[in-house]
Amino acid sequence: MSEEELNKEPLTRAQFLWLGSLGSVMAAVLTIPPVVYLLSPSIKHQFGGRSDVPDGWVELGSVFEVPGGEPKVYRVEFPQDQTYDYEPDEGEIVEAVMVTWKDGQVPSVLGGGRRTLSPAETEELSHDLNVKSNACAHLGCPVRWFPDRHQFLCPCHGGIYDINGRVVGGPPPKNLWSYVFEVREDGAIYVKHEFIGGEPWVV
Amino acid sequence: MYPRMKARTKAALQPFADWLEERTSLISFGQKALYEPVPTRGRWLYTLGSATLFLITLQFLTGILLLFYYAPTTDHAWDSIYYTMHEAYFGRLIRGIHFWSANFLVAVIGLHMMRTFISGSYKAPRELNWLVGVLLIFIVAIMAFSGYALRWDQEGFYAWEVGIKIGSYSPVVGDWVSTFLLGGDTAGPATLSRVFAIHVWLLPAALAPLIGVHLFLLRLHGQFGSAFEYSERLAKLRKTRQVRELSEEEDVPQEELEKELEE
Repeated sequence: MSEEELNKEPLTRAQFLWLGSLGSVMAAVLTIPPVVYLLSPSIKHQFGGRSDVPDGWVELGSVFEVPGGEPKVYRVEFPQDQTYDYEPDEGEIVEAVMVTWKDGQVPSVLGGGRRTLSPAETEELSHDLNVKSNACAHLGCPVRWFPDRHQFLCPCHGGIYDINGRVVGGPPPKNLWSYVFEVREDGAIYVKHEFIGGEPWVV
Repeated sequence: MYPRMKARTKAALQPFADWLEERTSLISFGQKALYEPVPTRGRWLYTLGSATLFLITLQFLTGILLLFYYAPTTDHAWDSIYYTMHEAYFGRLIRGIHFWSANFLVAVIGLHMMRTFISGSYKAPRELNWLVGVLLIFIVAIMAFSGYALRWDQEGFYAWEVGIKIGSYSPVVGDWVSTFLLGGDTAGPATLSRVFAIHVWLLPAALAPLIGVHLFLLRLHGQFGSAFEYSERLAKLRKTRQVRELSEEEDVPQEELEKELEE
């Protein structure tokens, strides 16, 4: 082999750039569609703000039926779009919502029995009401009320919460998740599938 | 009687074996793969890898059979498993083998890893095989966990929920991990579809070639043992092969050749 041949560049800079660009384009064409395809729910949620549960109020029950000293547990069916049906909102996600009064004390406003509430009264009742998810703030297991202990206990890893949903023991890093809710003038409690201060996954 | 039958059978099958060998090298590959020297000490401990391979094969076979009845929908997942268990003939047996061999698999892999660690088999030049093994353990762990969720009963559902919650605590990508695994921001039909795809297609597709790499690297470097032990055993093995080949070529009994070599 001659010296000239040995010194010859096996690949010119232009060829290198051309091959590199072509390779990058081909790699992008081959990888981006499947990755985006797999991540589409995440992309829709993170960038588009889309939720599986459409924005809207669902009725729970009435403030007049929430007892003092223990929770009233409601089974709520939220419409869910995470199905492959043609009709929107055909699916549903069932959740348990636990409603208690602050420190278990029934507000004096409710003394007069069932009646139409004034705006000031609904605001006061909203302030005194805890509307909590039963999903433990640690790893999402369903918590349960133990009347003898007067606490919510998680069966998975021993999370303990008081009647207000405040964590008092075990591994949970925060209190039970609170639903966005409102009390209407007829005393009805309405909730949204939204949570104050974040999103508890999997609920 | 028996040696004559053996010789006749061998002679009858020889043309087919030669034909196959010429076209595929399958016979020599099989010999190379099967007749590998192993360390003399701790013989049984070196069967843990084979036991793992056997259990994984069992998982594949019983898993394929279970797929004939399983319905990956939130409405029918548990019902289809119930049907498999109570209505399909031998369904309880097939699912039982899948369930228990999965449990044993995790335990046997743990023992296999322990043996590898304690015997120092992860050291050069086998580091890469150790890493492949660690990857395989991760895949098997995720497979076991996702299989749990496929039942879609209370236990499986909440186990998966706890898993997703753990994933959601990942720094930076936590939200992405959760929504990816859920197929949205709530648990539902898309979640089960994803678990099914991961358990039945994605992970086995990753597992199978990695097992191939693991076995290839094992054969390349051999089982771990001292150099002295190896060189001695390999020399003996080569000598035996040479003598056998020579005895066939020269048509001299093998024992005579061995005696001559000793003298």
